[in-house]
This record gives sequence, C-alpha cells and structure tokens, in this order.
Amino acid sequence: MKHIDLNNLFSKKTSNFGKDEVFDIAVIGAGVVGTAIFKEFCENGAKTVLVEKANDLLEGASKGNSAIIHTGFDAPPESLELECVKRGYAEYMKIREELNLPILKTTALVVAWSDEQLEKLDAILQKGLNNGISELEQISQKQVFKKEPNLSKKAKGAIIVHGESVIDAWSAPLAYLRCGIVAGGKTAFSHEVKDGHFNGEFWELKTSQKTIKAKTVINAAGLYGDIVDSIKGSKDFKIIPRKGQFIIFDETAYNLINSIILPVPTKITKGVVITKTAFGNLLVGPTAEDQESRDNSITLEQTLKDLQHKASEIIPKIKKHKIVATFAGLRPASDETYYRVSINDEKNWITAGGIRSTGLTSSLGLAKHIFEINDKKYTKKESKVKLDNVPNISEFASRDYETSGYDKIICHCEKVTKREIQNACRGETSTGTLGGLKRRTRATMGRCQGFNCLSAVAEICESEKK
Amino acid sequence: MKNIEIAIIGAGPSGLAAAIELSNKGHKDIIVFDREDEAGGTPRHCGHLGFGIFEFKRIFSGPNYAKKLVSKSKGAGVKINLKSTLIKVDKNILTFSTPNGLEKYNAKKIIFALGARETARPSLLVSGTRSPNIITTGALQRFVYMEKRVPFKKVVIIGSEDVSFSALMTCRHAGIHVEAILEEDKSINCFSILKLISKYIFNIPVKTGIKIIEIKGKDKKISGTSISKNEKEEFIECDGVIFSGNFTPESAILQTSFKEFNYKNNSLHVTQNFQTKNKDIFVVGNALRGALAAYKCYFEGKNVAKYVHDSLKEEEKLVTVPIEADDNIEWCSPSLVDLNALKKSLTSFKVKRNGTGVLKVLHNDEKLLEQTIDAYTYKSIDMPWIDGLKLKKGDKIKIEFN
Repeated sequence: MKHIDLNNLFSKKTSNFGKDEVFDIAVIGAGVVGTAIFKEFCENGAKTVLVEKANDLLEGASKGNSAIIHTGFDAPPESLELECVKRGYAEYMKIREELNLPILKTTALVVAWSDEQLEKLDAILQKGLNNGISELEQISQKQVFKKEPNLSKKAKGAIIVHGESVIDAWSAPLAYLRCGIVAGGKTAFSHEVKDGHFNGEFWELKTSQKTIKAKTVINAAGLYGDIVDSIKGSKDFKIIPRKGQFIIFDETAYNLINSIILPVPTKITKGVVITKTAFGNLLVGPTAEDQESRDNSITLEQTLKDLQHKASEIIPKIKKHKIVATFAGLRPASDETYYRVSINDEKNWITAGGIRSTGLTSSLGLAKHIFEINDKKYTKKESKVKLDNVPNISEFASRDYETSGYDKIICHCEKVTKREIQNACRGETSTGTLGGLKRRTRATMGRCQGFNCLSAVAEICESEKK
Repeated sequence: MKNIEIAIIGAGPSGLAAAIELSNKGHKDIIVFDREDEAGGTPRHCGHLGFGIFEFKRIFSGPNYAKKLVSKSKGAGVKINLKSTLIKVDKNILTFSTPNGLEKYNAKKIIFALGARETARPSLLVSGTRSPNIITTGALQRFVYMEKRVPFKKVVIIGSEDVSFSALMTCRHAGIHVEAILEEDKSINCFSILKLISKYIFNIPVKTGIKIIEIKGKDKKISGTSISKNEKEEFIECDGVIFSGNFTPESAILQTSFKEFNYKNNSLHVTQNFQTKNKDIFVVGNALRGALAAYKCYFEGKNVAKYVHDSLKEEEKLVTVPIEADDNIEWCSPSLVDLNALKKSLTSFKVKRNGTGVLKVLHNDEKLLEQTIDAYTYKSIDMPWIDGLKLKKGDKIKIEFN
C-alpha cells in the first residue's frame, strides 16, 4: 500500500525573484511581527522581501496564543510595548473591516478571588488609567455575577476592561502577508537564513536556498531572534523561550462565559486566562514555563490536568464539558521584560526581538514604529498583483458552509468545505504545511481531531500538490 | 421550509434500520439525512469481516454490509439525503447545510441516529509531542480502506477494546508493523482471548497496567513512545500512535440544542422506547452511549421504528421517572422509565473498571436489590425489571456499583 507522509503533503516553496535583485528591505521571520512589518514597508513603497525558514507563515511563536487583542491597560507604563499595543490595537480596528478580519467584542474582567486580590484592583485600575485606557471601571461582586452567572461564587469583584476582544490570530497575519504581496512585496519561504555579510551598501543573506540581497535587514525571527541577530556581529540579547500550555474545550462550553476572564497578576505570572475563541471554543491557558529549547513544545499530562482543575475552580460547570484540543506555544521572551527593538545605522540592521505575548496586538503598531525609526523615504509603485481578502473562518461572520456550491463538507466538526481546503492549497499565499492548512481552514481541529476527515483532507492536499 | 413526517439523522445501521422498518409500516414521508457523500455509516470503513450475521444471516465485510443496508433501504423506498450536515435544531425544525445552500425541514418526529467517534489524544491529555501521525482507529481505517494509503510504518496501539484489535487487523492488512498494544488498566477491555491471539498468533505484546509517559518526537515527527511499569521505563520506537476506543456519541448538536443533557452518556435522556422528554424526539444506536456492535444498533433502529409508529398514531401522555447511576458506572441507558410503556427491562449499564463488585438498586433511597456481580468494561449488563416495583410520578431510581 502506498505511503503518505502527513508531514510532507505540500511542495517546498521557492522564490520568484532573481538572484541579483537588491531589495530595500529584507524582513526575517514570517510570524505576526514579520508579516506586519512586511505589510508596512511594502505599502510605503519599499522593495521588500519576507524571508522565512519554514514552508509557511506562523510556524513559530505566532501559531499558539490566546488570540486576545489587548488595550494595553496592564502593559508596562511608558514603555515601547505600551505604545505599540495601543497603536496596534487602533490600527487593527481601523483596517479589519476592509481586510475581512473578525472581532468579538467581549470585554474582559480582571477577577479578584480573595480579599487580598480585591485590594489590588484599585492599583490595576489606576495603572490602566495612567496608561491612557479610559474605558475601564471597577465593578462589585453582584455586578460580576450579573455579567457572568457561571463564574464561581468565590469571585469578590472585578475590573471591567471594555476594549479587550477576541480575534482570529491566524487570519490576521495572513491578511498582512497578502497586503504586502499586493503592494509588490516578495516572499521567500523555506529559506533559512544561515549567515550574512554587509558590504557597506547591502546585505548578502546566505539562506538554505539562494542568497538574498537587501540594503536593510529587519530581524523579526521570534524564537530565533538572538541567533539571527548575531549575524550583524554583536549579541545584544538572549531569547529565553517561555512555554505556554493551553487546553481548549468543545463548542458546548462556548457560552459559559461572556467576557474574557483574566486573573489578578502576581509578581511571578500573569496567570491563567479563560476566553472564547474565534472558532467557537473556550480556551484556558497559558502556563509560563521558561526553557532552553526553541522548538520543543510538548504538552504534559499533569500540567494540562492542573489547567483543567484551575478552569473548574473558576467556572465549576466546565467539568461537564470535553477538552477537544491541547497545545503548547512558545513565547519569544528575552532576558529582559521589555521589547528588544533597536537600530544599527552603521550596519543597516533593525532588530525587533523579545516581542512577548502582546505581539499579536502590538505588531501593526510596532511595524509603524520601525518604519519611523528606519527614517527612509521610498516611492510607491503601481503593483499588478491582486488578491482577494482572506476568507472568514471565525464564528463571528458567515462561513462557506452557509453558502452553496461548496461540493461537500469535509471536516464535520469544524464544518470546513472542500472548496475552502482547495482554496487554501492554491494561489500566491497557499499553505505550505498541514498546520498552515488548519490555520487557514480549521480542518481537523475539532472534537474528533481527524477521526472523520484526516484522510480526506490529506487526499485533497495531495491532489492539489504540483 | 418543507414539512415531513419523520426525519432520521444519520444513515448508519440504526438510522437505516429505523427507516426500513418505518417504511414497511407504511410511513412513506421519511427522509434519512447524512453528512457524508455516501450512506452506510461507520461500517463503510471497517474493512474486516464480521458484519451481518444476525441481521442478514450472512457474513459481510463492513463496506459490503453498508452496501447491503443501503440497497435494502432503497428497496423499501427510503429517501436518503446525502451531504446534509445538521447545523441547528429548534424544536421540530431542522436546518441543514448542503451544497445547494441551507435547507430547513419541519418534521413531526425526529430520530437522532448520530453514531459515535473514538476519543482522540488531546481529550486524554497524554503528554508529549504533537504530530499528524497520532490518529484514531477510525482515521487509520479511512486511510487504509478508503484512500488505500498508509501514513506510517511502525506503531503502538493505545487501548484494548474490540476496536483496538480492529486497529491491529487494519495494520496487518496495510503492512504496518504493530510494536505493542498498550493498556493502562490492569486487564484488557475486551474478551481476554484477544490478548492471547495477539501474543501467540501475531506475536504482538499486549502490555497492561502500564503508564504512558510521553510520546517522543520533534518537528511533528514521532520517534517513539515511552511507557513505565512498576517504575521501570521502556522506550518503544515507532513513527505513529493509534488511540483506539473510548467511544463517545457524536452528540455536540444535541448538547447545544437541548436544555437538558445527559452528561454521563453524552446524549439525551431517553425512555425504554428511545423517546426523549420531548415526545417528538428519539435517540437511538451509538448516539446513546458510545459504541455497540453494528447489529445491536440495527436492532435498536428496528425497535425504535415501532415506538415512533405508535407515537404517530396516538397522542400519548409521557410520564417519566429518572434512573441515575453512580460514578463507577460509565453509562446507563435508558436513563428514564416511561410509566405508560411496557416494562420488561429496567435499564442496561456498563462499569468503568473490570472486577467483582456489589450492585445496588435504590427506589427513592429504599434498597430494592443488592447482589455481588462480576462486571467487565466491555460487556454491558442488562437489568431486568424488578418484580413488585411500582413507580409513580416524582419517584427516582438509583444504581450503585462498588
């Protein structure tokens, strides 16, 4: 019987530019930060290439997070992180409709579970107000239960943060990538940057495929940020990957809460969050575990059980609901808590490192910040590339299965159609990995985890392979 | 919106058997809906023999059994709507997603014959790496029997139910080497003869009482599975892991559509007539409590037809008494007694662990029965009606096993 390699269902991507082409900008890393920077520079006329070692975007830190768009109420005061979070938040709100990106305006509650925590709420409120976030207020125990009737009766009070919302953390970066391509940007997936040399005029980046030339390099390599950064000749920071394990409950648990439930942070950790997801599930996590490895994101039975227990302490009714998925993400934390953003004018090298868990929100703001510190003018050119908007896969807007002519539903749990899977395998930003297909369509992500559809999905991918 | 007399959701053995029987009773305004593009249900991808002996007095492979069921349905004039995914239930109104757009039906009676699925790795919280090569038996069978493909060469099978040995047979058929069958319980969860067959005929060890420590691997590739027994660790090299068994009803649509849900069975509460508290709604087959053999589902489907037929004839009054089961019992079905229906049996149930224990039945906290029984996780126990038991509205029955 013929073998099918589920880790190799897609062709290795190549690049579509000549080896002598000299770009204005090479962005290393196609995570949420890299794609946002790519979008910003392309749209402002810079001749830009996005270089990524994996065969698809979001294969590193950006694939696993809680998908919350933050207001910045609890960000470090007067920090670059706060500035970027606020700008990023505003920018997402501005462009999301035009790009067909969904949002569920949930609000968040920072819930106090003890008298000691209750006392801390005022400081959280003040910090938020000082950060320039006005839409927040303290609410009483009674108001908490009115808003969240399923919350454990141990809740003492809360701060309500009106702007905190849930988005689709996978479609947004894909949309940014497409914006960049439409504006004339080029991509080089499966191009792992191995080394580089700056000749005073431009960089020659040696990659696992061809050498890429660019006048300025922007390092957005996430978990590998410090390694890539050493190419410029100095080591300014160290990445300490922070693992976060998550559990996801079935759609049956989706309506147990209305708001995002945040804990009162302690000195050690921000704590466990409970939130709805864009895909109609309930997510609980993350843990915060510092580790050496940049690619080992295993889940541990005991940790997941602890998360499950923690969730049932917050929402007792959750005990009756099934866990359908578990995962671990790695945040590219660094040896300091702040963003490691710097520019080396002699070497034409910009670093966007140590972008921790707030990267999903801050990326669009950070991209603008980096464009400003680069301080160069580019001339916009007419581009002939046209791409449709990313299709909606969230529960917040209508989906393909609610239309007609989709052939058939392949993934029954997540209601993913054959047409959606085929489209994800085609075109300029087609998927390069099975994970990428999941992130574009939700196929195999549901409660049966491929019991029904994995073989059919694999078959479609294979037949689409060129 | 179209009005129909009977809607059956699911074209597997129980759904089709119900449709055939209802059609034979003269009900022609029936549609069986199925989300797949082919009718027949789960047997379609069970390539091995062993189907049909009780229903058709012949032995079929799963796919041929499915074909036989479908042709019998067509012969009876049953209409089957394929590629119809139920997305909403609102009282008697069903909304389906179909390639022709959304379709709505208003049905007088609805039978949910939704089937079951195996529990996948994430719900079991097993430690280790993530990989597409960690799959369930069902997924493997679809690869092997429907796509004629094999995703890996060397596997361990986790679980020891009947279906785990189906997984073993599927692997042998596909040329996949099975390194071991792993079971965390002390003994296997099916007839013990299968352990011997596996060990002595196929030379595949069945390791019971072990703990799965971690699925090892990197970059979505699996290198092996580490297990321990009596504090001794062992690493088993493999490039795939099959999670088998732990069937659960495919019932999310019921959980999100109905106020009262039976969390023990992961289904709705039903009476001995498969009727829910909503008189127009019935649940049958594996949608009631995980997996039973196909023939049992078939006969349940046949039976439910009779009750649906009766309930269409006369407007009956439904008075029920709940049956609760304790935590040592995995499921108990039916979980309601319909006081106006025939009372031949009380219920049937399945325990969570193999072993001898004391079974107690309580009626409003008064002991009705106490006896020591041998119970097995792979055999459900039928509880006949207890002589002299008189139930009235507001009563309750409790079953305990210790």
